[in-house]
Amino acid sequence: MKKTKATVSLLTASALVLGLVGFNTTVYAETGTSDLNIMLETPVESLDPQQATDGTSFEVIADYTDGLMQMDADGQAVPAIAESYDLSEDGLTYTFHLRDASWSNGDPVTAADFVFAWQRAVDPDVASEYAYMLSDIGQVVNAAEIIAGEKDKSELGVTAVDDKTLEVKLNVPVSYFLSLMYFPTFYPVNQAFFESVGDTFGTSPDTVLSNGAFIMDTYEPAATAFHLTKNDEYWDTERVQLPGLNYQVIQDSQQALMSYQTGALDTTLVNGEQVDQVKEDPEFQTIGAGYLWYVSPNMDAVPELANQNIRLAMTHAINREAITGDVLKDGSLPTYTAVPMQFAAGPDGSDYSADQERYADVCAYDADKAAELWAAGLEELGISELELDMVVDADDAPQKVAQVLKEQWETTLPGLTVNLTIEPKKQRVEDMQEGNFQLGLTRWGPDYADPMTYLGMWVTGNSNNYGLWSNSDFDAIIDECTTGDLCTDAEGRWARLYDAEKLVMDEAVIFPLYTQANAEMLSSKVTGIEFHPVALNRVYKNAAKTE
Amino acid sequence: MKKYTIKRLLTSLFTLLAILLVLFILMQLMPGSPFNDEKLNETQKAALYAKYGLDDPIIVQFFRYVGNMLHGDLGVSYKISKNTPIAQMLETRLPISIFIGGFAVLIGAILGLILGLIAALKHDTIWDSLATVISVIGVSVPSYVFALALSYTLGFKLKWFPMLYTVQQSMGSSVLPSISLSMFTMASIARFTRSEMLEVLGSDYMLLAESKGISGPALIFRHALRNALIPIITVLAPLIVDLMTGSLVVEKIFAIPGVGSLLVNAIQSNDYNVVISLSFIYSAMYIGIMLVVDILYGIIDPRIRLAKKGD
Repeated sequence: MKKTKATVSLLTASALVLGLVGFNTTVYAETGTSDLNIMLETPVESLDPQQATDGTSFEVIADYTDGLMQMDADGQAVPAIAESYDLSEDGLTYTFHLRDASWSNGDPVTAADFVFAWQRAVDPDVASEYAYMLSDIGQVVNAAEIIAGEKDKSELGVTAVDDKTLEVKLNVPVSYFLSLMYFPTFYPVNQAFFESVGDTFGTSPDTVLSNGAFIMDTYEPAATAFHLTKNDEYWDTERVQLPGLNYQVIQDSQQALMSYQTGALDTTLVNGEQVDQVKEDPEFQTIGAGYLWYVSPNMDAVPELANQNIRLAMTHAINREAITGDVLKDGSLPTYTAVPMQFAAGPDGSDYSADQERYADVCAYDADKAAELWAAGLEELGISELELDMVVDADDAPQKVAQVLKEQWETTLPGLTVNLTIEPKKQRVEDMQEGNFQLGLTRWGPDYADPMTYLGMWVTGNSNNYGLWSNSDFDAIIDECTTGDLCTDAEGRWARLYDAEKLVMDEAVIFPLYTQANAEMLSSKVTGIEFHPVALNRVYKNAAKTE
Repeated sequence: MKKYTIKRLLTSLFTLLAILLVLFILMQLMPGSPFNDEKLNETQKAALYAKYGLDDPIIVQFFRYVGNMLHGDLGVSYKISKNTPIAQMLETRLPISIFIGGFAVLIGAILGLILGLIAALKHDTIWDSLATVISVIGVSVPSYVFALALSYTLGFKLKWFPMLYTVQQSMGSSVLPSISLSMFTMASIARFTRSEMLEVLGSDYMLLAESKGISGPALIFRHALRNALIPIITVLAPLIVDLMTGSLVVEKIFAIPGVGSLLVNAIQSNDYNVVISLSFIYSAMYIGIMLVVDILYGIIDPRIRLAKKGD
């Protein structure tokens, strides 16, 4: 009896210990009243606009920093720090006129802040991963030479004419140049502040400056939670309705969804397996992510894949609707073009790839046609069977997609065996870069809102042209559109880009599969979040939350 | 004794250095680089490698790293928090992980002792079997399964504790992760306590104590448990280290800004310096604890150092 008493008292004591701890936790659900509670899948990698390369970092930097231009709801570039701009007749000189705006330490935002930041971006000592945004893509004068170490960074084609005037010189006219201006690599940095904080720049609220809609008030490197408060000194502060942004990094999808369901989050990502569970919920939605998933055949290393009939047969044998509808179920769109949907709008404002029938004759799902082409291809090669390996990322969605592709191909194309090599993404990328593959399931995300971000990959010798395809006509069109006569002719250029895309599709250089979408939950209390597949994935300047 | 301690100390240091070298070699074998492999061309990658000295031969990198480390410089992160000194990242994270780990040890030790005591005192009854079942579950089910289950029941359904870690409620939000982590410790301690107690309870001196009229709590706690406790404390040390490995996944689930979640992210993104620093710290802690245990053994049990002397 006494023994039992002793045990009971021990049990009570430990229950007390736990109880004491649990005591002060009852209020946890009440924090963050009308701040927007946002889920992030990965932590911020860098708050240095010239060093950041990932979507999460870009989104957060843009929360508290304005560039020359900003994105409107449709992804078009509209003025931000630049109140207006002039473009010279030859299309080579942009002159930006800056508005009165200030940094959160009271300093005015000046043209020199942009010059300093852009020079950092191309400085070989800084070794910015996105330096090519200024050179290859932005075509800013001398950017390429400075990156290569051939010229001094002071020779970069950007000048502060006076405090409020910034002049940018380009090598060739760049039709999408303004849309680059909302890309964080081009955001300003206050030189005096930067030099005062030294190496600690961007590692805490005290070492970042804001000129944007919000101000960072809690942050530490690779933080799992951080907070921003509305910036009352922001030049456009009337527009901003949210009192703050409350970010929470959650890497476990079940935890994220449960947190959303308890109301601790206003928006969260949902993974493919959770979609069935929530798809009837009115707060469920899918948002275009701009990524094109495709299969790249290695035409250089595999003689059978160099045969065009074989490639065409394989792309015709893919039932893309089944992949997106039955397997992914996350709103991803079947894609029949080499440039994905929903990220690049043309001179008339319409989506470049809105017409998905354009290349139907060379890639639409057609089992009979596929089988015919296959037979023809096999005959040309003098073989009756073919075994191919496909490298696939060891992630959930790619593995499922690859299984379906294997099944579709093997059913439709007699004599074909496809073996899947599942490996970590880093290994898969390395294998493809080294040409050590036969078929590769891969994806590409747009760097800027122009079809060139995709078409540029298929130029002879491009490092992302994994299949080593080479076509001089294609190369000539791309040249014409990037540095040639069509630079200043928006409509003409647009039409020529379709010619280039047609070559890629006609020769089945890639087998496009789908344009990725992200499945998300978004609280019905929240309105006005702008989602974009390029540059800034989410913009909160117009967002509002009702209680 | 002094000689024995010095010898053990030197062996530990040498082991640590060897671990560091192995880590360096392993890093070379990982596919890809810390940089954006898909978007960067060879020239850009070469520039980044040059910037961080990754183009030097591995042996040069190794000695440079050891040299810097002696000055307290663990290098900077290449990817997960670009250019941030790792020492700065650890400053806030290490205490959080240690707190949660310590909390888990406390819970595990207390509950384990209770469970073991019940099992021993109620030997061969339904209580004993129940305690055994709980112990087996605790040892065999991984901590992240407990983490998900606890988070769903106590966090999501009952709302007793937060599902995610917050700095504002660091105590409350440490409860679920600590319990998840403590299960293994609890189960191990319970099993050990049970067998030790059974041995002690059956010993002659217990019979003597009982015959002298000592009974109840005094008999159990002063005479039996005290004797059983010594070997239990020695198994607790390696269990503390086991906790750290369990925390890798648990920290990720509860979004805890500790070193475990950092290590997972670092491995996934090839952030060499972070992986090396954290693995090194884990190894150092493990070896450190083992060293202390070894030396303590030597103090408690003269046979060990005498045997060494005789070698």
